[in-house]
This record gives sequence, C-alpha cells and structure tokens, in this order.
Amino acid sequence: MLRPAPRRTRRVGHARQTLAAYALLAPSMVGVIGFLLAPVVIVMVLSLFDWKLLSTPEFIGLANYHKLFTDGDVWHSLLVTLYYVLICVPGTTILSLLLALLVDRKLRWMKYFRALLVIPWMATPVALGLVWTWIFDPGRGALNQFLGVFGIDGPAWLSSPVLAMPSVAAVHIWQFAGYNMLFFLAGLQNIPPSLREASSLDGASPIGHFFSITLPLLRPTMLFVLITNVIGSFQAFDTIFVMTEGGPGDSTEVATYLIYDEAFRKFDFGYASTISVLLFAVVLIATISQFVYFERRTTYDFS
Amino acid sequence: MRLRILPYGVLVAGCVFAIFPYFLTVLTAFKGPGQLSQTLPWEPGLPPSVAAFDRLFASGFGGYLVNTVLVTAGITAGQVVFAVLAAYSFARLSFPGRDALFWVYLSTLMVPPVVTMIPLYLMMQKLGLVDTWAGLMLPTMLGTPYAIFLLRQFFRSIPADLEDAARIDGAGRVRTLVSIVLPLSKPILVTVTTLAVVANWNSFLWPLIITSSEDKRLLSVGIALFKSEIGVDYNAVMAGSLIALVPLLVLFVVFQRFIVRSVAVTGLK
Repeated sequence: MLRPAPRRTRRVGHARQTLAAYALLAPSMVGVIGFLLAPVVIVMVLSLFDWKLLSTPEFIGLANYHKLFTDGDVWHSLLVTLYYVLICVPGTTILSLLLALLVDRKLRWMKYFRALLVIPWMATPVALGLVWTWIFDPGRGALNQFLGVFGIDGPAWLSSPVLAMPSVAAVHIWQFAGYNMLFFLAGLQNIPPSLREASSLDGASPIGHFFSITLPLLRPTMLFVLITNVIGSFQAFDTIFVMTEGGPGDSTEVATYLIYDEAFRKFDFGYASTISVLLFAVVLIATISQFVYFERRTTYDFS
Repeated sequence: MRLRILPYGVLVAGCVFAIFPYFLTVLTAFKGPGQLSQTLPWEPGLPPSVAAFDRLFASGFGGYLVNTVLVTAGITAGQVVFAVLAAYSFARLSFPGRDALFWVYLSTLMVPPVVTMIPLYLMMQKLGLVDTWAGLMLPTMLGTPYAIFLLRQFFRSIPADLEDAARIDGAGRVRTLVSIVLPLSKPILVTVTTLAVVANWNSFLWPLIITSSEDKRLLSVGIALFKSEIGVDYNAVMAGSLIALVPLLVLFVVFQRFIVRSVAVTGLK
C-alpha cells in the first residue's frame, strides 16, 4: 500500500535538491556574478576615485564626472562612436535584409550561396582588419589597383580623416551582413505562404507587398538585429586597433579605444572607469529606446 | 530564363565579394618579397614562396598558434560544461531563488565586455594572476549567460518523463543529465560549442591587456603587434592573418550546413 512520504523526508528531499542545484550552479555563479555583475558595480565605484598607476586610490566624489563633461576628447570620441554606429547599423541591416530576400527562394545550390555569404562572420577581426588594411593600401592595395584599371586615382583611404571612418565601418558591414542575413531569412521563412498568395490575389505589387506585409511581420527579427548590432558596434575595437589606431588624428578614436588608451597606456584607472560608465549608460539607453519604440508597435506572432 | 540569370548573377557577385579578401590573403601570403611589387594584388606570385611563413615562424608564431589552440580549447570546454550544469539546474530543479537568479544571469547579457575590462584587470592583479594562463582564461571559462540561456530553453523542451523513468530506475541527477539529456541535446550543444570556439579564437582585447610575456601570446595579439614591430611587410602580415583565419574556415566547411541552421535558431527565442 502506498502512503504519502513522511513530511520530514520530503523536506530533506527538497533541501537536497536545493543543495544539488546550487552545487551545479556554483561555477557559473562565480563567472556571471563575480566576473560580469560585480565588475559593473566596481567600475561605478572606481569612477569616484582618483587612481593612477602606483598611486593610492583617493576618493574624489564626482570630480571625474565633472572632468568628463568638460573633456572635449571624450565628447569627440562619443560622436565618433555614434558616427560609426550610424554607418554600421543601417548599412548592415539594410544589406542583410536585401541578401535575405535574395536567398529566400528555392534555387539550385542555394545552401552553398548562403554558406559563402556567412563566412566573413567567423573571421578573426584583427586578421580581417589587417587584410583590409592591405586592400585599402594607397599604393599597391587591391582597391586602388582595381580603380586604376578604370583610370581612377584612388585616395589614401585610411590616412584621410574624412575617409578613414567610412572605410573602417565598411569592413564591419562586410563582416556582418551575411551573418545577419540568416536572422532575416529565418524571419522570412516564418511568414505563412498564404499571406503572400492573398496579397498577390489582391493585385499588390511585390514592392507594395514588401512594405505592407513582409516588413511589418519582420519586426521581431528587426528588433533583434538592430539591438545586437547597436550593442556590437558601440564596442568596436579590434579592427580599429589594427587599421587606424584611432587615427588619423583622432578621427576614428571610438569610445572603447579611448578607454583602452586611458586605462592601459596612461594607467588612469579612475578616469577610464568614468568613461566606461558613460559608454555603458549610452549603450543601455540606445538598447532600451529601441525596445520601447518596437514595443509600441504591434507585432504578430505566427509561430 | 532571364528571371533565373539575374538572381544567380547577383548571388555570385555577392559571394565573390564575401570571399575575395580570403583569396587576396592566400595570394599575398604565398608571394616572395620581390613578387609583391611586381604583381597585381589579384595575380598569383609564381612560383609560390613560403618565405613569409618562414619569417613568421622564426619570430615565434608557432608558439602563438599552439597557445591559441590550447586556450581556445580550454575556455570552450569550461564554458560548455559549466553552462550545461547551470542550464540543467535552471531547467529541471526547483529551489528557492531560482527565478531571481535566472533573471540576474539574463540581465548580464546587457553588460558590454568593455565595461568590465578595468575591474577585471584589477581583480586579476589582486589575485596575482596578471600575465598568467589562469588570468587569461578564468574570467570567461566559467560559463556565459548566453550559452546558459540557449541550453536552458532547449532542456525545457525535452519531456521530463524520460528523466523521471531513469530516476525511478535509481539514476542520480548527474547520470540522468549525462545519459538521457545530453544525447538528446546534440544540436544545441554543437551550436553553443561553435559559437564559443569562434568567440574564443577571435578574442583580442582581454588577451592584449592581461598577457605581456611572449610565451603566453595568442595569435590575435601576435599579428596585431607583428604589424607594429616589423612595419608593413604585407607578405608576412597576410601569412599571419591566414594562419588565424584558416582554422575557423575549416571548422565552417566541416559543419557548414549545421552552423547556418543553428545560427538562425539563436536569434529566435
């Protein structure tokens, strides 16, 4: 005959499960809380200190923030970062959406085409930056040699304060367009074919159909692609480090580069932390405002 | 017929554009020093020369390659194992604080790694781990919130009955996980592992900061510094880039169909 388990053992069983759960979670708790969450708190505390290499940290309240708001370099760097983001995000999003529309059809060898387009995503950014530096080389680089075939005298892409940033951003777009294409492709394939048929029966043109049916249905994908790209491009560092080192002048000195420079070349940990906090705030605001914008608009879920 | 040719033409053009930097890298890496100035970038240097690779390996690149393989393998193994343990706990066990803790994990997805860089460096300094293997690997090898999230979602989709049956037969938690749950989770495990390998192999900023001695240098740092040390020796720089690019390319070709499918999965909840 079955009897309900005595209360004590059940409680012991529950305690054992709790113990087991936390034992399984222990390593990742050190990683996530110790090495991701705690540093966020620490960086905020550090931003209130004057701490240079070998000096004793000294509490100075909001003095770093005061300096921050009057520091032309920081604001310039923030604008440069914003410029980079404003080229990369629309560029990557539009190109990847166009690619997705292109590969969303049943043609022979399509899976190989899709795979080839995704390959740049895996490339080591530092190596990629060097490859593109070589392509952009004003003298013997592939781009200017190619332009030379048409009699065009190509500019010095990376040493021009005007062209350096668009050139560096183009590498980002080149690297991530194919990768983001996959998300749009998945989004497109989630749209029921019946909707396509219905609107072509109504006599809608393909372009009208795209803007009135396809695009609104892609909103969840669009939100994902935009947010991940905004977060990613706000943190650009690797390609810029090898391609321009922030130059020429300070025309590509993005925020991450400035933080690296302040912390690990000038060893001003306190002030570099303050800039980190500012960057974090900007990324957070950019992310949340996209959520709010998309939340206000209706999305339809067909899955 | 015309309708068929147009998409193919655009596709081929797009793919050529995606691949040609790799193509140029291979061509440049195998040119001799004199050939670089005598040929156009898209022409092969004949006969091919491995002089650039000789120069690279003479300056310690073999060591960087070995370091990168070992560190990538070590961090990836840690990330996958600890993420599996955490994800299983979140998906299958009930314990006080579970939902709050999971929410904390998720919230760290929003933290840009750059922001944690300075505190992490100072923590490693306090622990005496600057310029050590432990300092290089520890901060990321204990599990990433993204992998934990993906695995948890997958584990929850596996019917609990399967595990209950094993547990009635007397299997413990860990044995159930290893013998029942993991074999059913192969697709998501490959996805998580691939994403981890790519991220760890390509990692640059943290290795740049935390290591300084040459015997602990990784490929990414090696090629970046190589450029500033030797100037514009494009033969050698491209040979170095090729060494960094090829392993992931091979990984991609082997798992190609799988990766394309699984990347798309990670974008959808």
